[in-house]
This record gives sequence, C-alpha cells and structure tokens, in this order.
Amino acid sequence: MTKWIRWSGLLGFVAVIALIAALILVALPWIIKFSIEFAGTKMAGAKVTLDDVDVTASPFGVKLVHLQVADARQPMQNLLEFDQAHADLELAPLLIGKAISNELSVSNLQFHTARSESGALPVEEKKAIAEKNAEPSATQKVMEELPSADEILARETLKTPQAAEQLQTTWKTSSQAVEKAVSSVPDEKALKNYEKEINAITSGRLESLEDFQQRKARLDDLKKQFKADKQALTDARDTVQSSRKDLSNAVAALKAAPGEDMAYLKDKYQLSGAGAANMTGLLFGDEAAGWAQEALYWYEKVKPYLDSGGADEEQVEEEKAPRMTGRFVNFPTSDPWPDFMIRKAYITGPLDGGKLKIEGRDITHQQAVTGRPTVFTATGVELQSIGDLNAQLVLNHTRVPGEDTLTLSISDWKMAPLSLGVAGAELASSRVRLNADAQVISGELVAGAKAQVSNARFSGDGKTLFAKELNQALAGITQFSVNASAQGPLLHPDIGLGSDLDRQLQAAFNKRIKAKQDELEARLKKKLNEQVDQYAGEYADELKQLAAMDGSLQDRLNSLQDLASAELESFKDQQEREAKAKLEAEKAEAKAKADAEAKKKEDELKNKAKDKLKNLF
Amino acid sequence: MLTFLAKLLSALNSEASPGQVAFAFALAMIVGFTPFWSFINLFVLLIALLLRINFSAFIFGVMVFSLVGYAVDPLSARLGETLLLNPDLRETWTAMYQNEWLRILAFNNTVTLGGLIIGLIALIPVTVASRLLVLQYRHRFMAWINKLKVVQMLKASKFYHLYNTFAG
Repeated sequence: MTKWIRWSGLLGFVAVIALIAALILVALPWIIKFSIEFAGTKMAGAKVTLDDVDVTASPFGVKLVHLQVADARQPMQNLLEFDQAHADLELAPLLIGKAISNELSVSNLQFHTARSESGALPVEEKKAIAEKNAEPSATQKVMEELPSADEILARETLKTPQAAEQLQTTWKTSSQAVEKAVSSVPDEKALKNYEKEINAITSGRLESLEDFQQRKARLDDLKKQFKADKQALTDARDTVQSSRKDLSNAVAALKAAPGEDMAYLKDKYQLSGAGAANMTGLLFGDEAAGWAQEALYWYEKVKPYLDSGGADEEQVEEEKAPRMTGRFVNFPTSDPWPDFMIRKAYITGPLDGGKLKIEGRDITHQQAVTGRPTVFTATGVELQSIGDLNAQLVLNHTRVPGEDTLTLSISDWKMAPLSLGVAGAELASSRVRLNADAQVISGELVAGAKAQVSNARFSGDGKTLFAKELNQALAGITQFSVNASAQGPLLHPDIGLGSDLDRQLQAAFNKRIKAKQDELEARLKKKLNEQVDQYAGEYADELKQLAAMDGSLQDRLNSLQDLASAELESFKDQQEREAKAKLEAEKAEAKAKADAEAKKKEDELKNKAKDKLKNLF
Repeated sequence: MLTFLAKLLSALNSEASPGQVAFAFALAMIVGFTPFWSFINLFVLLIALLLRINFSAFIFGVMVFSLVGYAVDPLSARLGETLLLNPDLRETWTAMYQNEWLRILAFNNTVTLGGLIIGLIALIPVTVASRLLVLQYRHRFMAWINKLKVVQMLKASKFYHLYNTFAG
C-alpha cells in the first residue's frame, strides 16, 4: 500500500498551500484596498479612498480605516465618510469566493463632509453646475406693489373717458339738430293768438252769406298755417325724441362705463391669492426636492444590485466567463451563502447634536438565495431638534417583482428657520410631526407624506407692500398640515404638494387683498364718478330740458290739432237750423195745450162719477 | 513548454508503469471538466501529488482535458442541472448542503457536479484506454519518435538533463 503513497507529494502540497495562504494573507489588505477603491470609484463616479486596511486572523476579519467616497456632483464634498468599519468574515464561504460577514460595524458615518482635495476623476469631464434660474417666480411677480388709482387711470385705456367723449359728440350733433327744429316751431304766444283768432271766426251769429264766406276764407288760411306749424312741430318733436334717445344712450353708456372699467381693473390688478399663497411649495418644495433627489441618488446606486431572481446574473456570468461557470442551485438552509452578505450591520453617525443609529439585516444583492429581504432601521438618539426619529427601509427582492418600502416617522421636530424665499419672510420656528411612506414596485413609485406643523411662527422684514401684506397674512397662522405625494415612474413621478397652509394663507391673503381692492375700488370709483360727473353732469340739465321740450311740443301739437278741428257752420245750415228750431217750439206749445184740455175733461168725468156713487148710498 | 515536453517524453520513455501514466492522465480529466479554481480540483491535485502516479502526465492531461472541457461544459451543465433539480435527490442534496465543507466543494454548481460525474464515469475507461495507448506508443512509435530531429534537439537541451537529474 505504501508503495502507492508519495509522502513527499503530500508535504509539497501542504507547503504550497501554506505558501499560497501566507501570500494571500500578506497581499489581502492591499487586494481589499485596491478592490474597494477601484470598484467604489467605478460605482460612485468619483474618488474613493481608504486610508488603511487591516486583516485580522482570529476571528478572521477586515478593518477599514477612514473611507471617503467623493461626491461626483460636488467633488469638494464627500458623499459619505466613516472613521472605521470592522467586519468579520466567514472563512468557509470565503474559500469559494463568497464574502459573508456576520457583523459589520461602522463608526462615525457622516454624509456630505468637506474634502481637502477634489474628488473628481481626472479623466471625467466635470459637469458644469447649472446656475440657478434668476427669472423671477410667479410669486415674486405678484410682489409688485399695487399702483395708485391715478396711476391706473393714467396707464389704462378705459371706457369711461371714451363714453364721455361719445356723449359730448352726440350732444353737439343733437343740440344743433334740436335748435334748428325748434326754431321753426310756433311758441305759446302764437298758439294763443291762434286760439283767439279761431274763437273770433267761429263765435257769433252769421249775419249773411258774405259774412260766412269771409269767415270761412280766414279759417282756411289759418288751417294752412296750422298744417305747416304742425309739420314743424312733428319734425321738432321727432328730432327732440331722437336726440333724447341718443343722449340717453350715451349717458347710459357713460354711467355703465365705470362699472365695466372697475371690473376690468379689478381683474387686472387683483393679487392672485392662489399664486401668492402657494407657500407650501416655497416652504417645503426645495427641501423635499433635495431629499427626494438624495434618496433617488442612493436608490439608483443600489438598484442595480437589487435585481430579483438569478436569471440575469447567470446570463451575465456566462457571457463574461471564458468557460461556463455553471449555476449554483441553492437548497433550504439556515445558513445561506450568497456571493456577498452582511448578516447584521451597525452604523452610527452624528446627527443633529445626537446620534443616528442604523441597523441593517441580511444585506445582500442575492435575496433569492437568503430568502429574506434586506432591512434597515434607523433611530435617532438624543437628537437636539427632533423628539423621535424612526425609519425603516425594506428592500424585498426575494420574489419578482421586487418591492422596496420606506416608512419614516418624526415627532416633535423643531424645524430650523425656513426661508420662504419671498418677500424676506421665513418660518421662524415650528414643531413638526411627520409620517411618510414610499413604495417602489417595478420602477413605479407610490409615496405619501403628511406633516403636522404646530406652534408655527412666521417672521419677515420686507418693506414692499406685498411683503407687508404677506406678513400680515402669515401672522395669524400658527398651525397647518402639509401633504405630499409622488406617484409614477421612479425618475419622473408626478409630485403633489398640498397644504391647508395654502388654504389658510389664501383666505387671509384674500381678506387682505379684498380690503386693499375695496380701498382701491373706492378710489377708482370716485375718480371715475368724477369723470362721469364732469362729462355727464352738464348734460343732465340739458337732457331734462329736452325732455321738457318734448312734452311741451307734444302739448302744443295737441292744442294745434284741437284748434285745427274747429269748423265754421255754413249760412244755409244756420237758416235751416233756426227754422227747424222754431217749428219744434210751436209743436211743443200746441201739444201742451191739447194735453191741458184733455186733463180738464177727464177731471170733470171723474167728478160726475163720484156724485152718482154718493147718491146710491 | 520545452521543459514540459521534456518531462512528458521522459515519462513516456521511462520505465514508469504505463498504469501510473494512464491514471495520472485520466485523473486530469476531472480537473479539465470542472471549473479550474475549485476545491474539488484542489482535492484532485492532492491525490495526484500523494499517489505515486506520473505528475507530468497529469499536467499534460489537465491541458488536454481543459480544451476538451469547452465542448463538454454544456453537457456537464445539463447533467448537473438535471441531478440537482431531481426531486428524488433533493433530500440528499439538502442534507449535503447543510455541511459547509461539502458546500465548499461546490457540489451544488451545475458544471462542477456534471463535470465531476462525467469525469468519474470516464475515469476507468480513460485509464484503460490511456494505458493501452502508452503501451502501443512504447512498442510501435517510441523508436521512431526518438529519431526525430526535434526530439533529439530536445533531449540534448539542458532542461531535459536537469529534469532527468532531479527526477532520478
């Protein structure tokens, strides 16, 4: 049997393996340092530096000293840095290239720290930092002060002066026409004379046929004159009526013009309550956008390593490897071995004068192997301006599609002064309670947040009218709530930001604006009315006179018509009428006589009949 | 490369048992058919060093079967997949999976398991066939090969002498 065994071979094998192990142990710190810096730089797109790496033999583990990850967006700033990280490594999985750590602890993790030198990669072109858009916002536009009534009247093309001018023109034309028409109309004196003359013609007895003919001729002449005068009167009346109508319309237009102008001016010069009161966006928009951007940045960095299932991974390996590497089929176990895993991670870092403790569990990019989601929980300890801070991030890619959820709750958050970015106003102090949750499934984001702000105190030292009004409006608001939502594709979700601050502020603003508008309206009305009075006042009397003239002309026309209806009786008719009257008188006398005799006879007969009856009894 | 050829010629031309050369060559098949950097191959290397077999033939076999492995890999992967996903064997695999040293052998890798199975099945036939070939070589071709100018140049090189000196 021993002739088959080559003991020298065994010794050689052991020696070679030991040598390789020793070499690995010696080279491992450098390999780890190089790997972290190389892979980290590639991932972050900026310099990743590690001061030192120690490999400990028992327990086998790695200690990383002072890691700095530069921010590709701001090279003079670190995305993160920590003083020290220690991870123990399981040896058995490591022998087959699987890095599994039971516990990782990171101390003094800090975000966005300043760098002493630029972290930009030399070959990578720096993206120019976009300058902030200097164009004034809608709200800033609203800030412009309300102009005075005189300025508005001078600046605007209004209907009132136009209507006044129209009235003047109408009056000029009408007055000329009326004057002309009225000049040829008989006056009251002429009408009296007509009346006298007619009475003279029609009264008294016709003495003879000649007398009759003379009177008739005079009457006919008078009637001709009546006709001419009547026509003149009718024309004058029509002219007056037409002028009255035109002038009335012009006056009505002038009187209506200020109202229309007021409506126009109110519409144009009113402060947009909705625009100015959109304080939620001003207060939290930039902050929220910043946080969302930061969260998205990190999520995008991590996302490629969170793919659910192993199909893609296998395909990639097969494409890259010169030979097939095969696929690892995993079986149920309490000790799964993904390619990389940190079973528990404890990370601490300074936050708000206290500490932020982050605990991670089952951190791996191969959750299909572990069958468990990666869970991070963050808790604030002894924070200065926050009562309680709790957050949980669950990256669940144990199934397809993966589901990532974040819940965050902050209570009694004494928020630092927040500039509204408008009119020098700021939310000087407040207490905030915030609850937020977000979920990402298949790249679709559904997120919502609700913040209750209490003990709010706004301040501002703006000198403009708008600033003063804004401060007045804000002064009465002590508590409000803010709701935010984001829905849609992760990189381009529809963001909704609403708050009853807007409603409260809008109500307060509207009240202030209404008062200012009423004030302005009153001033404008006064000015416009002055213009109306100036133009329309002098024509009001004229219009009244025209109305009176219209009535007078109508009366005269009626009188003239009455006079014109007077007729002269003919001489023959007068003779026949007199003869007929005489005959009627004679007939009446004869009839009265006959009736008296008949009455006398009847009375006699009655007396006789009475006497006979007396004799019988 | 010259050194290696010298070693190989020395092994083939030496008095070494044809069985030792043939088994070393066949054993290399396992290394060639499985992913090179694996603990199974470390184990195979240990066997190759521990057993009194011709190590030059083993190295030569590794080179030959690594090339053949490209063609065999798909078959290995399919076989490994079939075995690992076989419901009847699931319990066995699960039990083996609980042992971390077995897991280090990467038995749950489709190419590793398939290549290992193919290598083990072919080990004896290839050993027998290789032994026959070594015998045939020594009987029919060795004299002719030794007369080749290339071989004579090789034998005249200092590598060959050095090897023969140290290999004894």
